[in-house]
Amino acid sequence: MEVIHYRELTDEEKYEHFMERIENDEKIEAGDWMPDEYRKALIKLISSHGASEIMGALPEKEWVPKAPTIDRKLSIMAKVQDEMGHGQLLLRVAEDLLKPMGKNREDLLQDLFSKKLKFHNVFHMPSPTWADAAIIAWLVDGAAILTQTMLLKTSYGPYGRALKRICQEESFHAKHGESLVLALASGTEKQKQMLQESLNRWWEPLLMFFGPKSTKDIGHSSVDINMKYKIRFKTNEELRQEFLTKYVEKIQLLGLTIPDETICFDEEKQEWIYQQPDWKKFKQVVSGNGPRSDARISLRRDSYDESEWVREALSDYKNKNQSLVG
Amino acid sequence: MGKEQFYEEYEVFSRKKDGLSLEHRFSLLAPNREMAFVMARENFFRREPIKELWVVKRSDIRLMSQEEREGFKKLDNKAYRETKGYANLPKLWKYFEEKRETGGVNP
Repeated sequence: MEVIHYRELTDEEKYEHFMERIENDEKIEAGDWMPDEYRKALIKLISSHGASEIMGALPEKEWVPKAPTIDRKLSIMAKVQDEMGHGQLLLRVAEDLLKPMGKNREDLLQDLFSKKLKFHNVFHMPSPTWADAAIIAWLVDGAAILTQTMLLKTSYGPYGRALKRICQEESFHAKHGESLVLALASGTEKQKQMLQESLNRWWEPLLMFFGPKSTKDIGHSSVDINMKYKIRFKTNEELRQEFLTKYVEKIQLLGLTIPDETICFDEEKQEWIYQQPDWKKFKQVVSGNGPRSDARISLRRDSYDESEWVREALSDYKNKNQSLVG
Repeated sequence: MGKEQFYEEYEVFSRKKDGLSLEHRFSLLAPNREMAFVMARENFFRREPIKELWVVKRSDIRLMSQEEREGFKKLDNKAYRETKGYANLPKLWKYFEEKRETGGVNP
């Protein structure tokens, strides 16, 4: 192999070399040359993944003060903290990608507050009972694990390294969720009913979580670009099918009813048949018009504004110390 | 307030156990070294035990460019620096052993 001198290459040659690296399953690093399309696709994917982690902590956070036992409180608190930690990791990855565009964390947060930066549909939904905390931890995290495991081999090195850590922690979350669900499913009639009602609320959002099957459903999709650059490896529908294969039987085993009379496995086609979720509603929800969108975004903004004084104080401290050193 | 100046990038390194090397963990943003240290602990070591934790300001690290990284790939002719460069030795020993068996060499 010959030494590549980047400055001497034309844009087409750079692109060709980049695609060669992608084909050879090399990992792309933050400072590497990359086509704008690749950078933009990564920024879109990773910043909304990061925002989803941070906003995803909120529906469960509501249950920290109301957890039924001290053990449950400790584990749900640990999970909420993990989600915020994942947000930190992912925002760092996004920030390094945004740097050449002159943007930083502040911009990402402002985009989140103004609904320009989107996050997963499930985190716009209410979590009115303890059973919602159970279903979220078991099935929403279960769905997230499938997506994130698929992304582990992503062509972007820093994202893959962050995901490795995230997946390790998510496996604890899924166990925590399983434990909650099993307790409720083997509890009193009232507990079982609470679990069933929660499943009814979450079923459609869970199917939506993976995104539409074809671009026709919401008008556009970045799946093709992401596959071309090996950022991701499976389509939305493949992931949704995996989810159904992994969970439908388990849900039924617990004595729960899936709120879809049409759901069945087509042996001939080897795929799940199910009632399509309402994709118009999906688009509306992820645009920030879900039942809890405004309340949660406000909470996040208030928390950011209220901690402004801490950043001010630390900034003064830093400037003062710099002048002392200087 | 200049946010750009306020946060700085830190790289986090840790040693899991005695006898292991320091390993790069990830990066984080912090306004100063002490905060970076506290956040590194909180961000990366909530569960796992840890022996040692370092935070280093990224701007203090001499990082590599893509050209340099790709140049490093060419290190394929350094067998003489490794044991695998001497894989033919057993064959040479065998020559002498066979010679002794046929009585060719006087000890």
